[in-house]
Amino acid sequence: MKDAILRVRNLKTYFFTRRGIIKAVDGIDFDLLESECLCLVGESGCGKTVTALSILGLIDSPPGRIVGGEIYYHDVDLLGCPRDQLRHIRGKEIAMVFQDAQSALNPVFTIGNQIVEQVKLHLEVNDREAKGRAIGLLEEVGIPSPEKAFSYYPHQLSGGMKQRAMIAMSLSCAPQLLIADEPTTAVDVTIKAQILDIFHRLKDNRQMSILFITHEFGVVSEIGDRIAVMYAGRLAEIATTSELLNNPKHPYTTGLLKCLPDITRERDRLESIPGTVPSLIDPPGGCLFHPRCDKAVAICREEQPPPLAVGDGHTVFCHLYS
Amino acid sequence: MTDKLLEVEDLKKYYPVTGGLLSRHLGDVRAVDGVSFYIKEGETLGLVGESGCGKSTLGRAILRLEEPTEGRIIYKGTDITKLGKKELRELRKEIQIIFQDPQSSLDPRMTIGQSIGEGLLIHGIGDDRARVKRVDEILELVGLEAQHALRYPHEFSSGQRQRVGIGRALTVNPKLIIADEPVSALDVSIQAQILNLMLDLRREFGLAYLFIAHDLSVIRQISHRVAVMYLGKIVELAERGEFFQNALHPYTEALLSAILDIRQKGKTRILLPGSVPSALNPPSGCRFHTRCHRVLPICHQEEPQLKDVGSGHLVACHLYRA
Amino acid sequence: MGFTIEESVYKPETGQFITKTITGERQHPLGTDNKGRDLLAMLISGARISLQVGLFATGIAIALGTLIGVTSAYLGGKVDNALMRFTDIMMTFPFFLLLVLIVFIFGPNLVFIVLVIGLTGWTGTARLVRSEALSLRTREFIMASKALGASSGRIILAHLIPNVISLIIVIATLSIPGVILAEAALSFIGLGDPTVASWGMILRAGQQSLDTTWWVAVAPGVMLFLTVLAFNFLGDGLRDAFDPRSSV
Repeated sequence: MKDAILRVRNLKTYFFTRRGIIKAVDGIDFDLLESECLCLVGESGCGKTVTALSILGLIDSPPGRIVGGEIYYHDVDLLGCPRDQLRHIRGKEIAMVFQDAQSALNPVFTIGNQIVEQVKLHLEVNDREAKGRAIGLLEEVGIPSPEKAFSYYPHQLSGGMKQRAMIAMSLSCAPQLLIADEPTTAVDVTIKAQILDIFHRLKDNRQMSILFITHEFGVVSEIGDRIAVMYAGRLAEIATTSELLNNPKHPYTTGLLKCLPDITRERDRLESIPGTVPSLIDPPGGCLFHPRCDKAVAICREEQPPPLAVGDGHTVFCHLYS
Repeated sequence: MTDKLLEVEDLKKYYPVTGGLLSRHLGDVRAVDGVSFYIKEGETLGLVGESGCGKSTLGRAILRLEEPTEGRIIYKGTDITKLGKKELRELRKEIQIIFQDPQSSLDPRMTIGQSIGEGLLIHGIGDDRARVKRVDEILELVGLEAQHALRYPHEFSSGQRQRVGIGRALTVNPKLIIADEPVSALDVSIQAQILNLMLDLRREFGLAYLFIAHDLSVIRQISHRVAVMYLGKIVELAERGEFFQNALHPYTEALLSAILDIRQKGKTRILLPGSVPSALNPPSGCRFHTRCHRVLPICHQEEPQLKDVGSGHLVACHLYRA
Repeated sequence: MGFTIEESVYKPETGQFITKTITGERQHPLGTDNKGRDLLAMLISGARISLQVGLFATGIAIALGTLIGVTSAYLGGKVDNALMRFTDIMMTFPFFLLLVLIVFIFGPNLVFIVLVIGLTGWTGTARLVRSEALSLRTREFIMASKALGASSGRIILAHLIPNVISLIIVIATLSIPGVILAEAALSFIGLGDPTVASWGMILRAGQQSLDTTWWVAVAPGVMLFLTVLAFNFLGDGLRDAFDPRSSV
């Protein structure tokens, strides 16, 4: 029975703007177990990135603020602990890989130096050891000639290489939890395959938990152990990967899976979900998906659906299953 | 037997690179380097490739938004590379374009009614009242409402803005639309809606599309024939069914194997080493030989020509004889 | 108070302000000059002059700068190079010398001052507008317009300019203080139009009696300061209001 390395309880992150309060994340709960890869899936605006930023305390405040909930890393509530402790945890124990390698890497320093800087920030090592570590990391992420690559500037690297360098940076202090925010989204299909391969190897070789954020189900089916589907700031469904893909319960999940263009055959028309994501400033009452749901009933308009167990480790937030 | 609407012959688009103290001509970025194909009336040619392959440049060159360096573009029997300003303007009513980014494809300072109606204004079609009527027609055609005409782009979602972009292209009654990654920036559920719209419009108006994308799953749903570009050249072109069942070029194989589709379990993936070489200095012989998993000695020396290997299946690879 | 423009004109022949015995009285809170013209009235009409100068000169500069900047950015290539080199030259142009020359030839005249400031002050605007227009030019909606058959003229007028308007308003608001100060400085050193009682002229007159009626020099100075401050705040505020990022 694996332990939970991260426990999120009733997390609420709101953004206070002139137009109103954007409820970007509105009460979500999930656990991330040791050595597991949990994928946070959803379309744009569902709150998955905000969730990741909340965990790391990177929410721009103002206008954003975490207004409720707890985030337990092991036994420490990240939302309540002192800043020093948070800073120590962030970067050393919890690391993040961003979507855009271009803006995450500092263009005026070599990639080697950037890794060394991270290492020395959190670990008691001398220069030589730090450099050795850095070269080791560059090798681990598959950058050819790592000793030479150590002295490269970001602009000397191709897109795929920059992505790898960013991953190497995040691993600099051997984190226990890696949060990856859409690391395969902005890259070409062949590079995507390479990056996922790195994540596979990281999973196999390190005892590390990964919170992998993406909107692509294909990626999820490759890398995820469990999947949590988010919609408009709330959770729709959580299950193991095979269970969710083979046996989806929430109408949004089933709808989304049906929309995916099929590489294996042609169709006259694609399935789609009518309508659009609701505004997070003035969301409809009850279940946020009900205006677009073909199975909605009266209670869906009134009450938010509670979590309901529909199988082993399979939870769905939908009145259809009560 | 439908006519060839568009025929492209050996099209090239080079961007000169100057450098040094006296701005000497150092070389050319060969974005499009000798491309030939045709599109029939009402047909959709899917054009696939990764970033930097030249597909977007090709699309724009056909419209003469970028002036071709060399080659012929024959539309309805006339070589449009030779057209003067006045005739070019008339041509604008025949060939239109849809862009990728819903954020930047609409003028934020114009109402969507004005954006859609711009084509009518430019060509002096109809008086004020007729134009308003036409704009309302178009809005309904693309799944929006007449009252939306007075609103500004920022009031709409990405999917709706993309509909506006499609509407704008339709106002002048084109026969051919260059769709430059029209759904790449959209969420999956919206992507499906827009693809359905494009399928409906094609059926209703007999439109031909040059559908540029990087997602083969999407290409499969909308194309009659598929072409693959690599570093400025077409490496394979075939009828859709033949393409997906019998892909010949090693690059195409790699692209297909890199696709992550939840319906395809346990695929062996071909991992292409390295990244796309520079278009300034492409490899000798076959451009793909540096990354090819089936490379032969001849591939380093001689560039393979695009040849018909049977029933219209074209491939540029030494592995295949015509 | 019942003053008209003519009455509040300060005649240089009178030399200096002399307050008679009417310092600080209710009718003339700041005193008068030796002809009995009320200082406060002159300050107020001076405001009008300064603002007129500010607005007109800035107007000319902004219009010219915008046209050059947008055209340069859109047409690119050789035209862009030529226009930017021209801008560089104008930037280094000693407008002060030009002014002295004009004053020497035509005598000091407010209209000329406004023209000179306007015709030499557009360079900063041109660069800023060009920079913004360059980034706009690659936006897809410009290409879409081209694809529909729009002429360059239409694209510049209907698309580029409306999208740089907010930038222009901010630039204008922040330029006006500079122009007002420039005019004040010119008047102060004697190159200004003597038929007009601008703040600079009042300052000039007041400097001669600093030890006695010091407020004659200080008052216009304070007015200038407050005006410049006000426009700067306005400009900053407008810039924040137009910035899309500040409304999440």
